[in-house]
Amino acid sequence: MKTGNSISRAWSGAWAVARRELSAYFRQPAGWIIVALYLLLCGAVFSVMVLAPARPATMRPFFDVAGWLLLPVVPAVAMRLFAEEYRTGTIEPLATSPASSLTLVLGKYAGGAIFLACMFAPTLVYPALLTVYSDPAPDLGPIATGYLSLALVAGLYLAVGIAASAGTSNATLAFMTTLFVVLGFLLAGWLGRSLDDPWRSMLYRLSIPSRTGDFAKGIIDTSHVVFFGGAIAWCLALTVGIVQWRRWR
Amino acid sequence: MPMHAAVRVEDVHKWYGSLHAVRGVSFELPKAQVAGLLGHNGAGKSTLIRMIAGFLTPDHGVIEIDGVDVETDRRSAAARIGYLPESTPLYPEARVEDYLHFRGRLFGMPWSARGGGVSRVVEQCWLKDVRKRRIGELSKGYRQRVGLAAALLHDPPVLVLDEPTSGLDPTQVREMRGLIRGLASERTMLISSHVLPEVEMLCDRVMIVASGKLRADGAVADLASRFTPGGLEVEALVHDEHAAGRFVGALGAIAGVTRVDQRAVGPGGWRRYAVHAAAGVDVREGVARAAQGACVTLREIAPTRATLEAVFVRVLEESAAEGTA
Repeated sequence: MKTGNSISRAWSGAWAVARRELSAYFRQPAGWIIVALYLLLCGAVFSVMVLAPARPATMRPFFDVAGWLLLPVVPAVAMRLFAEEYRTGTIEPLATSPASSLTLVLGKYAGGAIFLACMFAPTLVYPALLTVYSDPAPDLGPIATGYLSLALVAGLYLAVGIAASAGTSNATLAFMTTLFVVLGFLLAGWLGRSLDDPWRSMLYRLSIPSRTGDFAKGIIDTSHVVFFGGAIAWCLALTVGIVQWRRWR
Repeated sequence: MPMHAAVRVEDVHKWYGSLHAVRGVSFELPKAQVAGLLGHNGAGKSTLIRMIAGFLTPDHGVIEIDGVDVETDRRSAAARIGYLPESTPLYPEARVEDYLHFRGRLFGMPWSARGGGVSRVVEQCWLKDVRKRRIGELSKGYRQRVGLAAALLHDPPVLVLDEPTSGLDPTQVREMRGLIRGLASERTMLISSHVLPEVEMLCDRVMIVASGKLRADGAVADLASRFTPGGLEVEALVHDEHAAGRFVGALGAIAGVTRVDQRAVGPGGWRRYAVHAAAGVDVREGVARAAQGACVTLREIAPTRATLEAVFVRVLEESAAEGTA
């Protein structure tokens, strides 16, 4: 019963933090600007590269570009999650509440993830348009796995970003750290090509393009899902560790 | 059921790298006591407050809030304490009411209790007019009250306020003090402040921290008698300078008197003297005899009332002397 109460309190605390994060994104111009720019570029890519006459009915070019666009967008979303709290001192009332570090991290991660989901949601109109206007109709399988891939990649970037944000009071530094770590994940396969095994295969396995290729073809390989899930969990655990460690300093 | 101190701090230490910021501080606050924590910048006061509030972890020692160890049961301890950090950090984009609801959710308050709690603290902290406003649009005084309302929302038995009036204008300071005084009857409070008259006005007990150690602890009057030598304020009618010289000489000759200062000459020839004496020596009878001998009419003999400022300065001097010894 006590465990049940603790879980319910932790859940309610995490949800409170997530709601606050979400309202902070939408109450500041920066949140709306990020969403608008992302949708503008995605819309341009969709109209030029997907919704063009004589093109096959596939969303693949959209997912390729949407994935690359996450590179600046997600670090920008993640950078303020903890860094801003440390800079302004609001971490103090937050950390002295009954919410644990894990609750705070999960709540902030969920807030960022819901914001990204809100950013992706309008793009669902594209497959709907494609279904209406294209003949033959597009294969919905690769579209669904494409969105799953986008969500997993964004989730990983966000997890890297929240860890970077917890380590500093400087949001710009958090942004740059996330950007470089994520670039490392993106370019790992390419960097490994000039190396010998086991480094080559290890870097290939860490490379994001090597993990997302199957999703683009409509295949869900559980090893890829486990890779993203494991990496996200690892980054979140690291964030909890950093938040705890900053209490000891 | 055993009675716990509202706050118990036992042999607490904190290091920042090689800097020993808090050095073995111990004290207990009984229930419903209002204590002031004084110290200059860098004395270790804010570190101590932050450890009591659970924001920083002590490297050694135990801190308990209402019998609950802050380290081993942080969640329960946090529920028993209301904390207003220095400079009242808040989210500027949030509306007052939304922020208070957020705090309520964070403290696990159910919806029904939260609504009532928010209305109560809005009333208590005079926030009714601004409850729908964004925090970033409010004056510093209002923001401070929002911080206090957030600290009170879960109705904690212990309230820890770090510099609650810093940066406020005189009117806001008066309002904030009034607010704090109103809360004092119900709760144990620990108030950190630089403003000595404020501590004197609000607190039953004063603790002075210097170089990370608790250097003085007690009621203002007790500290005054402990840290300032005994002495009297004397008012006497002295007709001319010759008589004044004789009177001062006679006062100075009293056993235990260390110094005599003439303070002021009032209308009608009434003069005030400060008679400094060694601690614990009663020189009142000697003063009366000196007046009689010098043919001076006495109007008042009153013990010198040492101010908190004098106590504070004396404690810091002692601490500095100890540091250089």
